[in-house]
Amino acid sequence: MGVIQHDVIIIGAGVAGLTAGAILAEKGYNVALVAKGEPTACLSTGCIDICSLDHDPLHGVSHLPDEHPYHLVSRAVIRESIEKFKESMAQMGFSYIGSPETNRYVLSALGTFKTTCLVPSTMAAAPQDEKDDLHIITFSGLKDFYPSYITARRKNASFSTYDAGASTTMGLATNFEREDFLEKFISWLEKLNIREGKIAFPAVLGLESAGMITKKIEERLGRKVFEIPTIPPSMPGRRLFNALKDYFRKKGGMIYWSWPVSGVEKTKKIIEAVTSPSEGRPKSLNAKAFILASGSFVGGGLTARRDTIVENIFNLPVLVPGQRDNWFDSDYFSLNHGIGKAGIIVDSSFRPKEADWENVFVCGGIIAHTDVLKNGCGHGMALATGHAAAASCMGYIK
Amino acid sequence: MINFEHCIRCTICVENCPVFRVNPDFPGPKQAGPDAQRFRMEKEKSVDNWVLLCSQCKRCNMACPCGVDPAEIILQAQQRYGLQHPRTLAHLLFANNYYLSALGSLTAPVANKVASTKIGKKIFHAMGITTYIPFPKFSFKTMKSEKKKKSKAIKKVAFFYGCFINFYRPDIGRKIIRLLESFDVDVVLPEQWCCGLPALGNGNLAIARYFAQKNAASLSNYIDAGYDVIYTCTSCGLCLMHDYPGILEISLAKKITENTYDLHEYIIGLIDDGYIEPQFVEVKRKIVYHIPCHLRALGIGYPAAKIMAMIPGLEYEIFDDTCCGLNGSYGFKKTNEETAVQLGTRAVSLIKKTGAENIMADCGSCRMQLGGLSGMDALDPAEIICESLGITDEK
Ligand SMILES: Cc1cc2nc3c(=O)[nH]c(=O)nc-3n(C[C@H](O)[C@H](O)[C@H](O)COP(=O)(O)OP(=O)(O)OC[C@H]3O[C@@H](n4cnc5c(N)ncnc54)[C@H](O)[C@@H]3O)c2cc1C
Ligand code: SF4
Ligand code: SF4
Ligand code: SF4
Repeated sequence: MGVIQHDVIIIGAGVAGLTAGAILAEKGYNVALVAKGEPTACLSTGCIDICSLDHDPLHGVSHLPDEHPYHLVSRAVIRESIEKFKESMAQMGFSYIGSPETNRYVLSALGTFKTTCLVPSTMAAAPQDEKDDLHIITFSGLKDFYPSYITARRKNASFSTYDAGASTTMGLATNFEREDFLEKFISWLEKLNIREGKIAFPAVLGLESAGMITKKIEERLGRKVFEIPTIPPSMPGRRLFNALKDYFRKKGGMIYWSWPVSGVEKTKKIIEAVTSPSEGRPKSLNAKAFILASGSFVGGGLTARRDTIVENIFNLPVLVPGQRDNWFDSDYFSLNHGIGKAGIIVDSSFRPKEADWENVFVCGGIIAHTDVLKNGCGHGMALATGHAAAASCMGYIK
Repeated sequence: MINFEHCIRCTICVENCPVFRVNPDFPGPKQAGPDAQRFRMEKEKSVDNWVLLCSQCKRCNMACPCGVDPAEIILQAQQRYGLQHPRTLAHLLFANNYYLSALGSLTAPVANKVASTKIGKKIFHAMGITTYIPFPKFSFKTMKSEKKKKSKAIKKVAFFYGCFINFYRPDIGRKIIRLLESFDVDVVLPEQWCCGLPALGNGNLAIARYFAQKNAASLSNYIDAGYDVIYTCTSCGLCLMHDYPGILEISLAKKITENTYDLHEYIIGLIDDGYIEPQFVEVKRKIVYHIPCHLRALGIGYPAAKIMAMIPGLEYEIFDDTCCGLNGSYGFKKTNEETAVQLGTRAVSLIKKTGAENIMADCGSCRMQLGGLSGMDALDPAEIICESLGITDEK
């Protein structure tokens, strides 16, 4: 007892795993997702980078080296994964704008532009050039958000500070969800007589209702309003994670939290079950197929040892970018660290290459050659490979 | 158990901490856990009284991508602090929740009266206990007075019903017994005490261990006789499965954890094995299933949700990001009242937005909090299953 038969087990609650899971659950498969912890999406800006090498992200994909996993996914599937993502997020009340034909900018907390593709509706009004004049609002005590970085770079920008009785992004977002707080805040804003065309906020305008809160401020002030992503704790990243998670569940998927996979049960070419540490009765979940979406180093899918890199669950062969000396560029801020290539090499069916397993599929940041930082392709790659791995997995279990 | 060195300071745990969200006096799991751990010296007296503000909801553990388990680090700091500092009356009372409740139960009519009068409220306030939601009504006839029954069923379970059901809602306990009996499962009520969790939460390791050892000895006898143990309160469950082998270091813990199941996990197992084929009848309700933090922490998924999916007509939505704030005896303490009310109010406002008629939760204290603050009926999943199968608590 204690073992329930599933069609598919997904390992990892990141953008890749939740995307693959929702597709399978929607098609009626019995899907469970297990997770050790929360994904890197919670640390992200919430913006979907598809490929930042060209103004047209799909065109940018063709500049990528041959071994990049994007080349295993057709343009049609990339497009479909983006459309499907936008549709599902809109359903969850967390709309995204943008299209896979053009990249756009969001303003960073340093006053620089970050290139991305899809942005949450709360960042839609972010300036796309140096022209817009901005008024920035910050909050007393809020760490790591200093408007003077932005005003130093932009001529037509000024700022004001509000004392919200909270000084953390989560505390502020919680306050914004309260109607009485929002009312008081808006009347304070009205009294400022802001002359600039746009009002900018650090991304703390609520957690569940950010879209509505932004709209309300826009309507009352008669100004365009947008959020500036903060360093973690990042509210837009968390909103993205929450929406993906709720969507997966809405489609019938089940999530097992506190379920770090630590071992597998296998016969010759087939993984039968995954297991998790337990103080008593063995904890195991079996399925016809498994999707590995455990992320790269931060997510916990890969671990770097002194001279090698290991995949923590199936012990799959890992592409190690040469000797340790080659793992890191001497410039810390370089986008060209060798380690960005580390990961699992997959074939066109998204099965791990040079491994025995028929029923294991891989997607997201754990795949080799992604170089997420350098290519600006994080969530977009997770969406596309999540789709492709789910399709391949469906073909197998059918 | 202590992995504070694995912390990469990503702050994901902090975002997940319900207390940190609303109480600026609590520095959050990262600082209270891995960060402060570096400075906690064996020989020095602990000064970090704010560790007591942690409700032990375990959300930080579940969120951490690096396996740090800040809640366990804090739990140990709480025990250390508890050992070195004299306690307030409320801490002692709640650490002894079992005796407090048992006392209330014996003198139920009187205790209920006292708790609901102005003077009674004053007394509770003076003791540091809050009264913003009606204090649980002490129920007169407790589960222990139910008789053990014999039957020839093959499956046998010993039911760890927990304090909440025992003292406040024995009717739910009786329903669960009828439910299991209708599945041809033989149910016994082993001799049992509080699981020990409230004592642990109040930094009283000795009392917690005392209860745990007594429970373990009692349950172990039944396991030897071929019984599985089931729990229904998910906090009791987490204590049995996680703290008995962990911080409480109970020698019989392995045997207990190997043979203990959540009620709904057990029922799913019966269905999976083909032992039963329950014929669920339509239940026309729209509910929010509030997932108790400790169910989430158990790492068994949400078994009751699987059963809900089999009940025709039942519409349910899962909420697992909204800690109710009460956390057993935590929110009853005056120092935590504001935290508990703020978190509970937030949870209720999100629940109300769905237009659901009822709230469902496995844990009695979540039901008390959410039901009390919303004015909605808060049900145990077993009540809905019984409704669907036409089972009542009367014969
Ligand atoms: C700090 C940071 C900021 C970023 N910002 C952006 C951005 O703004 N825009 C963008 O497009 N991309 C961004 N990225 C990249 C992007 O987050 C990822 O590339 C992408 O989302 C891929 O995620 P994933 O689903 O593959 O894995 P991850 O997000 O890494 O998730 C892995 C999941 O697997 C689970 N897991 C790991 N091991 C186990 C195990 N043994 N058992 C069970 N579960 C396990 C983890 O707990 C987690 O839930 C950022 C990345 C980082 C690190
Ligand atoms: S156990 Fe809960 S209250 Fe305590 S630090 Fe962790 S998240 Fe916060
Ligand atoms: S989530 Fe884990 S790794 Fe991140 S700050 Fe908290 S304890 Fe450290
Ligand atoms: S955890 Fe369960 S047994 Fe322990 S006090 Fe709470 S309800 Fe009672």
